[in-house]
Amino acid sequence: MIDVVGFLVSWLTLLGIYSILALTLNFESGVSGVTNFGKVLFYGVGAYTAAALTVYLVLILNGFDVGRTPPYSVEGIVALGQLAGQNPALNLALFALSLVLAFLAAGLLGYLLSYPILRVGPAFVGFTLLSSGELMRIFLQHFEPVGASKGLMSIPGPFAWVPEPRVRELAFLGVVLALLALTYVVMDRLVNSPLGRTLRAVREDEVAALCLGKHVPRLKATVLFIGSGFTGVAGALLAYYLTAVNPGMFVPAVTFNVWAMIILGGMGNLRGSLVGAVLLTLFDRLLTFLTPQLGITVISPDYVRWFSVGLLIVALLLLRPQGLLPEEPVRTPALEELEVALRGGGSG
Amino acid sequence: MTSPSQAAVKRAFDAKLAAVAIIALVIGIAIGFAAAGAFQPTAGGQAAQPQPGAPAGGQAAQPKKTYTIGFTLPLSGELSSIGKIWEKVVYLAIEDLNREVQAYGFNVEFKAVILDDATSEEKALQNVQTFAQQGIKVVIGPAASSQVKAVKSFVDSNKIVLISPSSTAPTLAIPNDFIFRTVGSDAGQAKVLATLARQEGARKVIVFHRNDEYGNAFAGFFERYFKELGGTAVKMPYQTGLSDYAAEVASLASRVQAEGADAVVLISFDTDGGNILSHAAESPVLTKVRWFISEGPHGAAELKSPTVGEFAAKVRLLGTRPLFIANPLYEDFKARLKEKYGVDASVFCDTLYDAVKLAGWAILRAGAYDGEAIRKALVEVAKNYYGPSGWTIFDENGDKANQDYGVWAIVKTPQGYDFKDVGVYERGSIVFLEKPYP
Amino acid sequence: MLPGYPYSIVNFLHYFFFYLLFSLPLTLSYRNTKVINFAHSNFITYGMYTAVFLHGLLGNTSLPAAAAAAFLVGGSMALLNNIAVFRPLERRGASPSLVMIASMGLWIMYNYLLYMLADVAHFFSRKNFVSYSKIAYSDVPELSIAGFTLSQSFVASMLAALGLVVALYLFLEKTRLGRAMRAVSDNPVLAEVSGIPRDTIVNLTWLIAGGVAAVGGAVWTCFSGTITPQSGDAMILQVFTVSFIGGLVSLLRTGLGALAISFIENVGIAALNTYLGVPTSFRPFLTFATLLTILIASPPLGAAGGLPYRFRRRG
Repeated sequence: MIDVVGFLVSWLTLLGIYSILALTLNFESGVSGVTNFGKVLFYGVGAYTAAALTVYLVLILNGFDVGRTPPYSVEGIVALGQLAGQNPALNLALFALSLVLAFLAAGLLGYLLSYPILRVGPAFVGFTLLSSGELMRIFLQHFEPVGASKGLMSIPGPFAWVPEPRVRELAFLGVVLALLALTYVVMDRLVNSPLGRTLRAVREDEVAALCLGKHVPRLKATVLFIGSGFTGVAGALLAYYLTAVNPGMFVPAVTFNVWAMIILGGMGNLRGSLVGAVLLTLFDRLLTFLTPQLGITVISPDYVRWFSVGLLIVALLLLRPQGLLPEEPVRTPALEELEVALRGGGSG
Repeated sequence: MTSPSQAAVKRAFDAKLAAVAIIALVIGIAIGFAAAGAFQPTAGGQAAQPQPGAPAGGQAAQPKKTYTIGFTLPLSGELSSIGKIWEKVVYLAIEDLNREVQAYGFNVEFKAVILDDATSEEKALQNVQTFAQQGIKVVIGPAASSQVKAVKSFVDSNKIVLISPSSTAPTLAIPNDFIFRTVGSDAGQAKVLATLARQEGARKVIVFHRNDEYGNAFAGFFERYFKELGGTAVKMPYQTGLSDYAAEVASLASRVQAEGADAVVLISFDTDGGNILSHAAESPVLTKVRWFISEGPHGAAELKSPTVGEFAAKVRLLGTRPLFIANPLYEDFKARLKEKYGVDASVFCDTLYDAVKLAGWAILRAGAYDGEAIRKALVEVAKNYYGPSGWTIFDENGDKANQDYGVWAIVKTPQGYDFKDVGVYERGSIVFLEKPYP
Repeated sequence: MLPGYPYSIVNFLHYFFFYLLFSLPLTLSYRNTKVINFAHSNFITYGMYTAVFLHGLLGNTSLPAAAAAAFLVGGSMALLNNIAVFRPLERRGASPSLVMIASMGLWIMYNYLLYMLADVAHFFSRKNFVSYSKIAYSDVPELSIAGFTLSQSFVASMLAALGLVVALYLFLEKTRLGRAMRAVSDNPVLAEVSGIPRDTIVNLTWLIAGGVAAVGGAVWTCFSGTITPQSGDAMILQVFTVSFIGGLVSLLRTGLGALAISFIENVGIAALNTYLGVPTSFRPFLTFATLLTILIASPPLGAAGGLPYRFRRRG
């Protein structure tokens, strides 16, 4: 009846990608206080880097002249479709390469953007990044080499040579979850370290941190580099998952979706971001199975679905204004020693 | 600051609370899920309980086979004005389909499952995945070409037949996939529009078009054909998705003046078209040139307003659209849609209607509810089907092979303004059946 | 010769009035409440749809009546948001980002509620409300100046915008309540200590903000050729841009921002298109580029709560 495995695979893949976004956003905004409203900018840069790199290289390495059959033309697309499954080594190599390049491109962009952000002051960081995101989107809509308004399609995935679609999906899910685990470990190590403590200090009171000698600009630049880098990786994964990219996919609404996830889950708590991502994606997916059965014809039943998502957000926030999981103290080795000592002393 | 042990206890409690909350939420939804599953007729052709609303004849004895068709429509977002009308077309089409198959003696019923994709690529993919996970093998939609591109790889891998009634991107004309389009390429229409403009005396036109794949491709085709006919075309793209286009129209006016153009060719959808035309009505420059329009704004209620109607008369506005002239099936479809659901048939309603009918008959002809079989059957069924959108035969890429074109105008009627088909494209020139403007 | 003259000038002024009507309430609401309100676009859209429903269902052709109704609808929506969501959250110590996301949840709810209302209205009246044409009102005149006509919506928006500016100026400068409002926006704690009822002021702020934005929406219905439930969302980024140029606190700078943005969007893009061949589809790009230039060149004070940080060189 209902293909539960298929449901789980498709849900978990998107959940994985969104979780990477949520983790990095929590790292940037929840822990370090850099209100990033422009998440989608780095997401899009990562996606387009991966997409452009893959389609161009596949065509060039197979002897096509991309001047005459560019990857966004019909001939190019048909060629890409045919070449997709032929060379497993090439697919996997390009996949790995584009993940690395997506990380670097998005990370570098984040690092560069930290300069104007520092100039406009903490209150305007959000909107500055949001505007940059829109600038990038409109630019991509006019930039011919990446397909302008057509976007790129028929991107050969890393497992396109696998004949069974279910196995392909599972393999891709495996990669997504592995990258999610990597992101979580990196973020967790960064947050639970002296650096994490410093970032929290910057978040709470920048001037005080400055007075204590912390180099705030460099810290913010580092945060944006790492956070945006992993966001770029998530973007690359999205590009491979949808096998198509289009400027219209990278609108500010995406950023605000991710913000809802981290606020619901609890700012400053990495596991909270995962919880928030699970909540929002699962609720929506499950409702898509339910709402068509409602049998209402006066209004489109799907409107009830979206309405419920908004209602869920408001209700959860009213119930738990701090988010579901509160922020925890920084878990460094020193803290653990202290805990052990207290516990040992207390139970004596 | 709380001591670490207290913090640890608090953490554990909070984690447990969160876990309980989430588990409760998931269980609640799963229960709702299962309850819905108990009510929902199974997809995929298994025998269902006798339907309470059995057709005239009242036979509850023989259980009907139910086939489900999935629809992913833009009910919110940029294309929602079209999507809402499509929703009604789907209801009408499913009713007609059920009546027809019963008349032929099949003991089956078709059911529609409609999901909103908010004109977003990711949500379209999620909807198609939801359909696949419910066992649905035929999906109609999505509306935008970018959405079709995002779902293509999934439907090809999972062997789901996808029929889009409105995607016209030339980059999707790919053979041997599971994507079918009941709408023809814009190249043919661009040729007709170029012929129309040329025949009406335009020598230099400004092509004011949407900056998306539809607009860019159409404008490119138009430019090529108009040049072949000996004219000059200047392309002027405008950004889509804005709430108002007054600034763009002002730029257009100044460009028309600067280039000395004698006509404007507008390539748009319904909402932006209505907005642009009502602003153009206020510009002295733009009311002095001829206007030629693509099929996007045809049928939209905004163009029947007095402002646009008067503007149309002033500039002798003419548009082209895909049309099999004097097709009684289209007129009948339009009338029934208006009478039963109170909506005017706008662009792509006829292709959507035919997509539903084709899907239904293909499922029956296939003999098995299986993607490959339905795909083969669809090609065969389409060869012999003639509906409101005319002859539906597919070409080797799964797109509509043959298309005739007509010319429309906005004329004054006793009730106000309305659309009227006034000409046909025949063998390289436009033949007018009546003069729409004095 | 200015490109697009004279109509780009007329449009420039026209958009200036609309941006005043949409952005001044936003700045006012932020500076008194420190809430970045996503639901602001809903005030505008619901204002439009109040006028649309009155016209489509009841045949109303009077703009002042539609505007008054819109004011009530927008104002009560804003009040409801505050009483039901924002105030309880603030009482429980929620951070500003949290309240912002709560307003985002409200935005989603209001959006789809409007779609549902349009469906219900269609069910009863057989008219399509998801896309509605321009409304021609019967009691607002067109003006003829020096040979060309200023449309109905120009007159209406001019009157509304100028009325708003004058009213706000008089209110905030001359009345006690207005001065109390300014006190709350400058320093809420001190204001409360000196006896000003902060809650009442905040409620009043929301009422004005929602109401005025909705009135702007009602006037918009005689300007734009198509009204859809997306109309407010499609322009909200520009509205926020204008408010951000004002630092979200300065009403004067917001007005100047409205001037700058409407200039760029109308005259600027026409000039770039005619003389430099920049495609018209770059218009939103220009808006954001202008915002970034202004923000980076002269960062506004006030909203940052002090001196903005400037990158300092080490040593």
